[in-house]
Amino acid sequence: MEWIQDWSFLERGLFAGMVIGFLSPVLGAFLFVRRMTIISEGLSHVTLTGITAGLVLMQVTAVFSWLNPLYTGLLAAIFGAFIIERLRGMYRAFEEVSVPILLSAAVGASAVLMSLVPTSYAEWYSYLFGSILTVRQEDVWFTIGVGAVTLLLMLLFYKELLAISFDQEFASVTGVPVQRVNMVFTLLLALVIALSMKIVGILLVGALIILPTAAAYLIAKSFRRMLLLGILFGEASVLGGITASYYLDVATGGMIVVCGLLLFTAALVSAFVRGRTGLGEERIT
Amino acid sequence: MSTEEIVAMDHVSFKYGRQNVLDDISLHVKKGSFLGLVGPNGSGKSTLIKLLLGLHKQQDGTIQLFGEDHRRFRGWSRVGFVSQKAASFNSGFPATVKEVVSMGLYGKKGLFRFLTKKDRQRVEEALEKVGMREYKNKTIGQLSGGQQQRVFIARALVSDPELLILDEPTVGVDAESVQNFYTLLKELNEQQGMTLILVTHDIGAMSSYVTDVACLNKCLHYHGGIVDYEENREELMNRMYGHEVNVIEHNHDHHHHSHDHDHDDLHGGRPG
Ligand SMILES: Nc1ncnc2c1ncn2[C@@H]1O[C@H](COP(=O)(O)OP(=O)(O)OP(=O)(O)O)[C@@H](O)[C@H]1O
Ligand SMILES: [Mg+2]
Repeated sequence: MEWIQDWSFLERGLFAGMVIGFLSPVLGAFLFVRRMTIISEGLSHVTLTGITAGLVLMQVTAVFSWLNPLYTGLLAAIFGAFIIERLRGMYRAFEEVSVPILLSAAVGASAVLMSLVPTSYAEWYSYLFGSILTVRQEDVWFTIGVGAVTLLLMLLFYKELLAISFDQEFASVTGVPVQRVNMVFTLLLALVIALSMKIVGILLVGALIILPTAAAYLIAKSFRRMLLLGILFGEASVLGGITASYYLDVATGGMIVVCGLLLFTAALVSAFVRGRTGLGEERIT
Repeated sequence: MSTEEIVAMDHVSFKYGRQNVLDDISLHVKKGSFLGLVGPNGSGKSTLIKLLLGLHKQQDGTIQLFGEDHRRFRGWSRVGFVSQKAASFNSGFPATVKEVVSMGLYGKKGLFRFLTKKDRQRVEEALEKVGMREYKNKTIGQLSGGQQQRVFIARALVSDPELLILDEPTVGVDAESVQNFYTLLKELNEQQGMTLILVTHDIGAMSSYVTDVACLNKCLHYHGGIVDYEENREELMNRMYGHEVNVIEHNHDHHHHSHDHDHDDLHGGRPG
């Protein structure tokens, strides 16, 4: 795989972006139907805490000067995934409360850590809003590894995840190991979030997970189609966003989200025209 | 009728916190029987079903499924289930009727296995059985409550379970469809030898379909054949509900009397 070493930053960025554009909506589709999209926000902020911790380690201790904050970010995200799963178990009927608990803890810790080290505004900006300029060669390898693992596990657990999302009790009765599959899913989410950080940034990770799916939901009539359409929208947002940001010289992450938003608006208009906005209404019984 | 025991519960007790919900239940269900499980609201029927399905753990006693200790049991694909709360799913879920019914097959398929052409055919057959085939491409949220319930019944049937457990499956299903549904259950029971456990409040209608009856109110008041049950019904109903239940009309609002009764001394009367 010599050729990867010859890639320009743009090619590296495009590659990492396409991987994220594929994986984010896949996870997003499951989060969406489980009404847990907010988890991605919690995990992304924990990732930020991990990154700041990494930066502190790098600057304070000589031993860790080689450290890539991406890895500490990933570790924090995985840790956050465990915490969220535990909290969800404790609050059964109100699982979403696990997210604000984690989110506030993460942001608080980040703020403290940030104040410990002098870091430039530009560096923070790239963590918060992403920048393809920062995609290094080792990040490409990281992307390939994480991408392959995620894809494989999603294929492996597709049926099980769908069954759990639709009706957890029934899934458990038919022998689906609900807790284990949930754990794996949240871990994958942590991986993908750590991965997307470089491209779209902490604050915009959630957008790439949710916008394509939200748009697809308005058009698709089955779960499978929603998933496929979401991937299509995700890839379109990433490609459009990176291209636009390159030529217009604006923030990559922001441009990707703008593209996602445009697609979402288009889907909204098309749904409105065809009178299909009422799909999600609760039955009145 | 074979003598193989599909379900064997022995001295099972269950508490929610400190509230004793099931007390020393011993219930054996033989292969090929069609058991109607009746009792007032809050008598522990759903709890008993959840214990059977491994969704709750009993504090006391043992449960065997297909002759295997319940905690080690792995053959969940041999068990089908229609929940009392089937309508609690998210009705905006973008799944088609076909996708929902397919979920009944997931337990049987291993990881990494996708549905085959034959599986898809089975989905169609299951939908045919409940008369919902023409709706297969509709989104589940677009159906009426009773139609949804029929889809959930198809989801339980599609895996061809050996034991089918139904917790008030016909709530919200219209009278004619209830008739068809009971007839279908009877067919499954008689022709395929499927073992069935049906929780119901529809005591009158049930009697012409089931082979056995179990009357539950914290403890098991009666378990035996339908003929014996019919003979002793008046007395049993008096014990469980406090008065004879009108079997023709809906009897839901009568149940609240039941809690006042102390039934510990009424245990017994179970033949065999
Ligand atoms: N999750 C729970 N937590 C605490 N107590 C519960 C819970 N579920 C049920 N109970 C209690 O257990 C008892 C039995 O409930 P169960 O749902 O088994 O009754 P049931 O026979 O199925 O009634 P119904 O005919 O209304 O469906 C009730 O008194 C109820 O108060
Ligand atoms: Mg019940």
